Amino acid sequence: MKSSSNSSCGHALNLSDVGAGAEVRVSRLECAPTTCQRLREMGFCENALVTKIRGGADLVCWVCGTRVALSARLAKQILVEHVDGRS
Amino acid sequence: MNQDGAKRWVAVVGNPNAGKSTLFNALTGLRQRVGNYPGVTVEKRTGTVFTLYGDALELIDLPGMYSLSPRSPDEKIAWQVLHGESKGVPRPDAVLCVVDASNLERNLFLVTQVMELGLPVLVALNMVDMAEAKGIHLRPQELSQKLGVPFIPTQAHRGKGLVELRAALGQSLHRPGPRQWTMPPPLAAAVGQIAAAWRESFPAELTAEGKALELLAGSNVGPEGARKLAAGWRERFRKEAYDWSAAVIHARYEYVRNVLGSTGGLGEARIATWTDRIDSIVLHPVAGWGVLVGMMMTLFISIFSIASYPMEWIDAGFSWTGLFLEQRMPAGVLRELLVNGVVAGVGGVVIFLPQILILFFFLGLLEDSGYLARAAFLLDRVMHRVGLSGKSFIPLLSSYACAIPGIMATRTVEDPKDRLTTILIAPLMSCSARIPVYTTLIAAAIPAALVPIWGKAAAFLGLYILGTGSAFLLAWFFRKKMLGGGSPPLILELPPYRSPAIRSVALRMWERAIIFLKRAGTVILALSILLWFVSSFPVRSDDPTEKLAGSYAGQLGHLLEPVIRPLGFDWRIGIGLVGSLAAREVFVSTMSIVYHVGGEEAGLVAAMQGAHWPNGDPIYTPLTCLSLLVFYVYALQCLSTVAVAKRETGGWGWPTFMMLYMTGLAYGAAWLVQIVGRALGFS
Repeated sequence: MKSSSNSSCGHALNLSDVGAGAEVRVSRLECAPTTCQRLREMGFCENALVTKIRGGADLVCWVCGTRVALSARLAKQILVEHVDGRS
Repeated sequence: MNQDGAKRWVAVVGNPNAGKSTLFNALTGLRQRVGNYPGVTVEKRTGTVFTLYGDALELIDLPGMYSLSPRSPDEKIAWQVLHGESKGVPRPDAVLCVVDASNLERNLFLVTQVMELGLPVLVALNMVDMAEAKGIHLRPQELSQKLGVPFIPTQAHRGKGLVELRAALGQSLHRPGPRQWTMPPPLAAAVGQIAAAWRESFPAELTAEGKALELLAGSNVGPEGARKLAAGWRERFRKEAYDWSAAVIHARYEYVRNVLGSTGGLGEARIATWTDRIDSIVLHPVAGWGVLVGMMMTLFISIFSIASYPMEWIDAGFSWTGLFLEQRMPAGVLRELLVNGVVAGVGGVVIFLPQILILFFFLGLLEDSGYLARAAFLLDRVMHRVGLSGKSFIPLLSSYACAIPGIMATRTVEDPKDRLTTILIAPLMSCSARIPVYTTLIAAAIPAALVPIWGKAAAFLGLYILGTGSAFLLAWFFRKKMLGGGSPPLILELPPYRSPAIRSVALRMWERAIIFLKRAGTVILALSILLWFVSSFPVRSDDPTEKLAGSYAGQLGHLLEPVIRPLGFDWRIGIGLVGSLAAREVFVSTMSIVYHVGGEEAGLVAAMQGAHWPNGDPIYTPLTCLSLLVFYVYALQCLSTVAVAKRETGGWGWPTFMMLYMTGLAYGAAWLVQIVGRALGFS
């Protein structure tokens, strides 16, 4: 698995951008290594399905059968794509 | 017992919110002991459970964790215990994994790691009722066969499945078989080589692959050959930009999903539940704050109103004991010691027990119900402005009862700088020990006839706001300006709402009561005796004022007077300040001794209002009382807090800084009150 930090960004969508209720797939994590690892351990692995339950400054997601709250700036570092392929 | 007669230890591990502590409480009941791991204040909770065959096992309840890659002090302790590296704790003979059946995907991730420790594993499939409600129809037998470890369905909060669990604990458990998840090719080659090198030195090592992964992660414990290989692979992966740790997490999750797919463990698509409906209010940007403020107000009103009844009973009990001793014992040093030292000193502290228990009752309810995590989420934005995350909210809330559990609660804060900042500001949250000081001084400053009761309540609230506001300002300075670096992002699980397990909450209150009373019977008792001694010797006289003035404490008070005179304080207040250095609540009892008014608050207030300087001016003017109140808002008058901060920060440096900055702040602020007050025409 290629390291996330070396991947190109392109025009990817981040978790903060999508609306509440949207189901997305994690495509890449662009945070500090320790934060990336904690996110992955909590279920935010690349290709994992995530449903954004609440938007706002800080947001709540549904991942791996649990609700996880994330700060908005962390959500910006989680790049996602819509499940149906829209971006 | 083991074959060699030693106790058998079973570690209880699991994700936070998996019901681990509820299951631990259900299995051990009152056969629990709470202590600390050597060198740190992370609580060590152990308890005895009897298997169905009558054998006693020692359970050790480890802090909740998401993985065996430790980050917070809590998780580090759990890791050390599981690896047999925690001093004073034997390596467990087996591990009881508690998993949330309604959320197996993430919970089994940890189980796959625990299975590689080389220890027998038993899994409690907890909250099966909630899993069923979510449409997850598990087949425990198949799970057991797939993973090769026993799965026992339980509902800890209802006491279901405990018999089966105790039966399973009594049987001889086997170590899990070899790793079942598939390691990706580049990593498999690295781990294979490193593990082989490890086995060359330690042929009997059962967990060589796990050791290899630890070496890759940066551990330097192991045979030299294996360490060198690991360093080489690490460098190669770095050059190739191969994120091996992400690959391991992916591979484990892949395996877990496959297992759950074939055993009924994967739920259907997410459906809106009661939790979502409650969250729509509780997490609402406006209504959510209303709920939070309402909760906090209920908590404070309960602390100050409901607790007043048992506090009066305790007070009456100690007053009766003092009177009884005075009447039954012949006058002399021993009677003085018992009445003025032991009974007055210990009684003055034990009186706060109801308030502390009420606070822990509410905290237990809020935590078990799932609300506390929501409060931390709401407060994250506010905390972020001062450089902290929402996770610091819970330790700060606990500090309103006492800074000691507050500082201990910082162990859940992962970022070391956040944790240190939270420790440094925790004693600024007005704790319950300040209540008698505030009450006495407000009564002395504001004559009852002039101001209605709500005016005093407002003054009380103002002191709390002053302490809290200052704590946030200083947090901003410490975290952003002094320690530097960015504040960590919030990642917080919001568990579903559940009805709290009252038995579990009651057990926690019981533990707190025992800890508090032990402290009162040791540290506070010793300090009370010391205080009595320094305020009673060397001058022995029947005139209490003469005796006090000539005592060691009186001499110190006189010595201090030039320093505290700018704050409007006389030598007697100086004695109060010195007397309460170790515990701020001692101020009231010290002043009662100084003004020889016994233990009654009304008598002390009247004596203070009647106290004069040699020129006849009153000492306790509203301005001086305000100075003294402000001094107590900021001053770190608590040796136990210093001791806990020393253990928690690993040295004397930060506690010394804490003492200096808080004392300096207290002195400066009290002085400022005097200067501004006098400039405005107050005296």
